[in-house]
Amino acid sequence: MELIRQAGARKGARPDTFVGWLFVTPAILHTIVFMAVPAAGALFLSFTEWDMTSAPRWTGLRNYQEILFDRDLYPDFWISVRVTLLYAVLAVPAALFTGFVQAYLIDTVRRGQGFFRLAFYLPVVTAEAAVAAIWRWLYDPQFGLINEALGLIGIEGPDWLGIPEMVVPALVLIAAWQSGTAMLIFLAGMKGIPRNLYEAAEIDGANRRAQLFSLTLPLLRPTTFYLTVTGVIFALQMFGVVYVLFGRDIGGPESAGLTYVLQLYVSGFRDGEMGVASAMSFLLFIATLLITALQFRLSRRDAAS
Amino acid sequence: MRMAAALFAVALAATACGGEGAQEATATRTVDFWYYQPTPDQAVKVKQLAKDFESANPGIKIKLTEIPKDDYNTKLATALNGSGAPDAGYLDQPQMARFAGGGQLAEVPAGTIEEADYYPGALGTNKVAGKLMGIPLQQTTVVLFYNKKYIQTPPTTWAELIAASEKVHREHPNVAGVSLPKGDGFGAWIFPAFVASAGGTMVDEAAKKITFNGPQGQEALGLWRTLLTSSPRKITNTDQAFQKGLAAMTFSGPWDVLGIREQFPQLKFGVSLLPKKLEEASTIGGDNGVVFSKADNPDAAWKWLKFLSSAEHNAQYADITGNFPVNKKAAATSALAGDPDMKIVIQQLESARPRPALTEWIKVNDDVLAKAIEEGVDGDTSPAEALNAAATRATKVLGWS
Repeated sequence: MELIRQAGARKGARPDTFVGWLFVTPAILHTIVFMAVPAAGALFLSFTEWDMTSAPRWTGLRNYQEILFDRDLYPDFWISVRVTLLYAVLAVPAALFTGFVQAYLIDTVRRGQGFFRLAFYLPVVTAEAAVAAIWRWLYDPQFGLINEALGLIGIEGPDWLGIPEMVVPALVLIAAWQSGTAMLIFLAGMKGIPRNLYEAAEIDGANRRAQLFSLTLPLLRPTTFYLTVTGVIFALQMFGVVYVLFGRDIGGPESAGLTYVLQLYVSGFRDGEMGVASAMSFLLFIATLLITALQFRLSRRDAAS
Repeated sequence: MRMAAALFAVALAATACGGEGAQEATATRTVDFWYYQPTPDQAVKVKQLAKDFESANPGIKIKLTEIPKDDYNTKLATALNGSGAPDAGYLDQPQMARFAGGGQLAEVPAGTIEEADYYPGALGTNKVAGKLMGIPLQQTTVVLFYNKKYIQTPPTTWAELIAASEKVHREHPNVAGVSLPKGDGFGAWIFPAFVASAGGTMVDEAAKKITFNGPQGQEALGLWRTLLTSSPRKITNTDQAFQKGLAAMTFSGPWDVLGIREQFPQLKFGVSLLPKKLEEASTIGGDNGVVFSKADNPDAAWKWLKFLSSAEHNAQYADITGNFPVNKKAAATSALAGDPDMKIVIQQLESARPRPALTEWIKVNDDVLAKAIEEGVDGDTSPAEALNAAATRATKVLGWS
């Protein structure tokens, strides 16, 4: 019996591998066809001049050079980098904070957890265009609900989307409201913390505040780190909301809402400079890679100390 | 093989059933025509027009595809590179050079239209390097709109415009004088009207030199900057400020004459010529009909475009979309011609100037000029500085340096 089973295992190694491959083939095909091939195509195009109507012309590194250094041809490039970085730096912590608060409150309430989970997650699954259109009404300087509400308590609200300095804060507010994903993952993380730890803490005399800061937050570190990394990657690709929010006035006042991907879109699809847009997307890829590597680095050093 | 056999059988059956009409049915040619998504009401009328064409031209079927205007050029460029490309469609005037240069457009076959029948301004936008690459379908321009509640006699000069704007805002602090165009592609399209009115030009194509940063351009941008002080963005940034009565004046085109009447019937507004500095001037825009080089049925497509621009149907078509006929004979029969507001627009059309016919002009318009307006009107930069910087950029974009 033992012998037979061993033989079977040895013989079965091949079919097993085969079945394994069979299972991952769809994923591999998907990655190759829809990700690797287009990415390779974009890499090629980034070295060409292509307006989508005539054949691409090889220009070597010229696109990269002009994007990075020619302020006459791409005056808004560095503005868009600044806008995007500022947005990521503010929006990610804001969304993490609201997400955590929501999760903490949901974890505390005894009844209706499912309802609150759904209610807070709804903004995430709502179509981006609809979200942006609604916020556009909310921010309307004359009839917007936000300024109406501020008016009730005697504050004259600003023209949120009309003043350059207010644009990024307005976007951050939307991000904070759309923090359902962070909420859900934080909540899962909280459920994963063994209850007996809290019991032990209680016996040691720790109040809720102490439990939060000495127990919940430290134990949620991996969750927070994951959310920070993915949040930053998403924030760097901010597009849909700003595209709809400003409509014809792309990027808003003084390009204060011109995110990197919006600038990329404009180059490719409005100006018909697909080569330039491809080069921009590769620059974003490299930047995202570097920023993510940096985050891993910092977190490891943090954990060690 | 079996598939082909089945298809054959079906075709045979269809022919057999069709009887006399069979010959025509098998020869049906479909023209996929792309155009800007109109209002639902307009769409019904365009469909009716297509039906009229189909009954006058048996064997041709028009498939109307509506595309939102903002996405049109993107979708078109993508479709032409992939599958699902239309046979014919609209093309915005400044896009002609780009698509023709890429070999995407078919040249208009000789004898398709009589060039003398058309307004030269509109026809001229179809010529790329001397070749006729499209047929004009409709044209448009920009005039002054004023709210009769605040403005009794519309201003005719720049000085009067400033005075009227300041008076309104002084007497009604919650109302802006003018809903001023912003630093975007639309504002950059209107701006040349003011440069021309001051006696200036945008470019000197022969000398390959940018001229919009001359004194006239600076005066034009300066005018907008002056108007901004009595037209706060905080008021006009609300959606449709003029329509809601929050701005006393605005610059817009005939499409808004129809749009406001339809959607804001309570607004009492009037239309007048753009206030001038030295000469009457406005800007011109419009759409051409083109047939793509890979079209399946180019002959049928040309017939359809010819139909839309003909003396008999061009007025009807332009009336539907809220634009103006390009066919001179049609202009007289346009239902809009009798409309007092539209009469002003027709008068303005006579002094409307086309934009420079340069392949990269779109980029100059949307990126460079738009930015100059944003900086020189809303920003801290003086009009002169903003325009000089824009001139440097435009020179580079056009490859004139």
